[in-house]
Amino acid sequence: MKNGSITTILAGCMGMALSAALFAAPALAADKTVKIGNVEPLSGPSASVGVQGKQAREMAIEEINAAGGIKSLGGAKLELVYADSKSDPTVGVTETERLINTEKVNLMTGCWNSAVTYPATQVAERYGIPFVVPVAVRDTITERGFKNVFRIAAKDSWWVRDQFRFLKDMQEETGVKLQKIAFVFENGDWGTGFAEKWRELAKKDGYEVVLDEPYPSTATDLTPVVTKLKAAKPDIVMLVSNAADAILLTNTMAEMQVKPKVVLASGGGHADPKFLENTDTNALGIFDEVEWNTDVNKPAAKPANEKFKKKYGYDLTGESVDAYVAMYVIADALERAASTEPAKIRDALAATNLTTGPGMVVSYDGVQFDETGQNKNAGIVIVQVANVDGKPDRVTVWPKAARRAGYVPAFPANK
Amino acid sequence: MTAVIQAALNGAMMGAMYGLTALGLTLIFGVMKVVNFAHGSLLMVGMFSAYWLIRLTGIHPYLALVIVPPVLFVFGYYLQDVVIKPVFKAEGQVREPLTVIIVTTGVWYVLDNLALMLFGAEYRTVRTAISNKSFALGEFIISIPKFSGFVVAVATAVGLALFMRKTKTGKALRATSLDREAANLMGINQYRIYNIAFGLGTAIAGIAGCVLIPFYYVYPSVGVVFDIRAFIIVVLGGLGSIPGALLGGLVIGLIESVFSQFMASTWTEAIIYAIFLIILFVKPSGFFGHKQDW
Repeated sequence: MKNGSITTILAGCMGMALSAALFAAPALAADKTVKIGNVEPLSGPSASVGVQGKQAREMAIEEINAAGGIKSLGGAKLELVYADSKSDPTVGVTETERLINTEKVNLMTGCWNSAVTYPATQVAERYGIPFVVPVAVRDTITERGFKNVFRIAAKDSWWVRDQFRFLKDMQEETGVKLQKIAFVFENGDWGTGFAEKWRELAKKDGYEVVLDEPYPSTATDLTPVVTKLKAAKPDIVMLVSNAADAILLTNTMAEMQVKPKVVLASGGGHADPKFLENTDTNALGIFDEVEWNTDVNKPAAKPANEKFKKKYGYDLTGESVDAYVAMYVIADALERAASTEPAKIRDALAATNLTTGPGMVVSYDGVQFDETGQNKNAGIVIVQVANVDGKPDRVTVWPKAARRAGYVPAFPANK
Repeated sequence: MTAVIQAALNGAMMGAMYGLTALGLTLIFGVMKVVNFAHGSLLMVGMFSAYWLIRLTGIHPYLALVIVPPVLFVFGYYLQDVVIKPVFKAEGQVREPLTVIIVTTGVWYVLDNLALMLFGAEYRTVRTAISNKSFALGEFIISIPKFSGFVVAVATAVGLALFMRKTKTGKALRATSLDREAANLMGINQYRIYNIAFGLGTAIAGIAGCVLIPFYYVYPSVGVVFDIRAFIIVVLGGLGSIPGALLGGLVIGLIESVFSQFMASTWTEAIIYAIFLIILFVKPSGFFGHKQDW
């Protein structure tokens, strides 16, 4: 028995040595992969957004791998390991632990929901695993002094900052001076958060606030709010709405003939695919702030969107664009790191300065992280609902560099 | 001041439509002594029926008013006959049949989820000949769809009250509502009357659907939003009272619209519930309710 087992062990060792000699070398050269852990909401309330992000990532990975993978790593391929967060922070944390400990991922990306990303990045920081956050906008995600967290998208406070930049720029461009401003917002976390920052910036820019009105987004009738708006006679109306109330507000404003010079929404309900369908011409002239629009004036944007649409049957969205870019940022960092060592990847990410390549479909000029890990250049675009080929559609108007060629924004929209 | 009068006009129009949604609820309660939790879903069915009819045939929204309610009457009639009646019969001796209430809750879930499966969760509106049209009354703006809704709501309430007073069926409905055993003894078929009451309640939800759809959007759980208001209105106006439902609706609509001119509109919601509680303490039977002694 003893002899037998020794023989077995010996044979086993020989076999292992043989197979290592036979297969290990080519395996290192061609089949080497870099594992990227990705926590996303693939089921539950935010599943549709999670799936959009997953598809955008897959398209990017396919492109990167087809182009020869990571050359400095001998043509290593990128591999995504998905985990479903169900939008639940607890699940997000345990899945991040699993991906790092069991799946041995080299770096992490995700998780879309701010509530999930916040604790998940904390786990990665503890293990020293780099974490690329494409889109989770809560400010504090990159404000904790972490070394391994990098965010591509703009943060919350920048959305409001850019709304006021837009107003200023447009007034300078057109020579129109606007003074009175009204805030109308849903009374949830999102709306009240925006309103708080609006007040600050409106004061700083010297606007006169004539209405500051929260409303319940389940309201059956928003005529009372519109009546108030009519009485306040603002030049500018800033809105934060979900889909149903965005539709109701827009239609009621048309009905009550309330026509402020500028209506500026904050994405969300106004960016919902159902919004234009249900408001039609009533929405004409409305400005809306979004992460991305299909017509941004960027060379890589159009082919990427056409390819994506052909593959999955719908346009890229702001969220999926960020996920797509993130893959190129990761590939770029790996190329420069020439290592799968998390610490080296981290340093390469911190030194990112990506301004060209198929990944640059975003509205801004490049990806470069500041000392907190936030993409300094990240920006937002403002679109205007305009009549395009006889149908209301969203047209990019701001920043000026991304404006649709040949389009002159109607500002103010109602004279 | 202009804003307040404008708000009052809007509030009255919207309130009448809240009253209309409550009318069917109060009728079914009055006759059957059943709180119909499926009422909001029936309103949703009414709205979707009007939506598809207008969308597919392109007819004027008010032509839908002569088509949708009769169809919904038949739907409600058989819904009660097939689904609710057997449970009612099983609890025939009980004065306030609790299981029936649970059955109506079941109907609510089934209808909402059926709509979700069939039509998806998105919001839909139809753009009709009168959508977003308005006329000026002096310096005030009156929305045509809402004004028509107001007229239809008042006409429905008056029509229903006349029906209850003048016709034989109406009298049978009232008799059953007063005392179902006695009515039974007088040769009234209790369950047939229930079918009719439920059918009428559903038909009124259909009327409400037709007048709401030109300016409001429909989605599978739209009923919940109106349901809560309808319950408050029914209690406010007095359970089972037709003029009470209309008046209750007007009160809620006016509070919602006028109060929000003086404070953030998020507050009016709280005020409506506070008034609801006060009414429950002070006059539990509502404006026109009888002291319930059955």
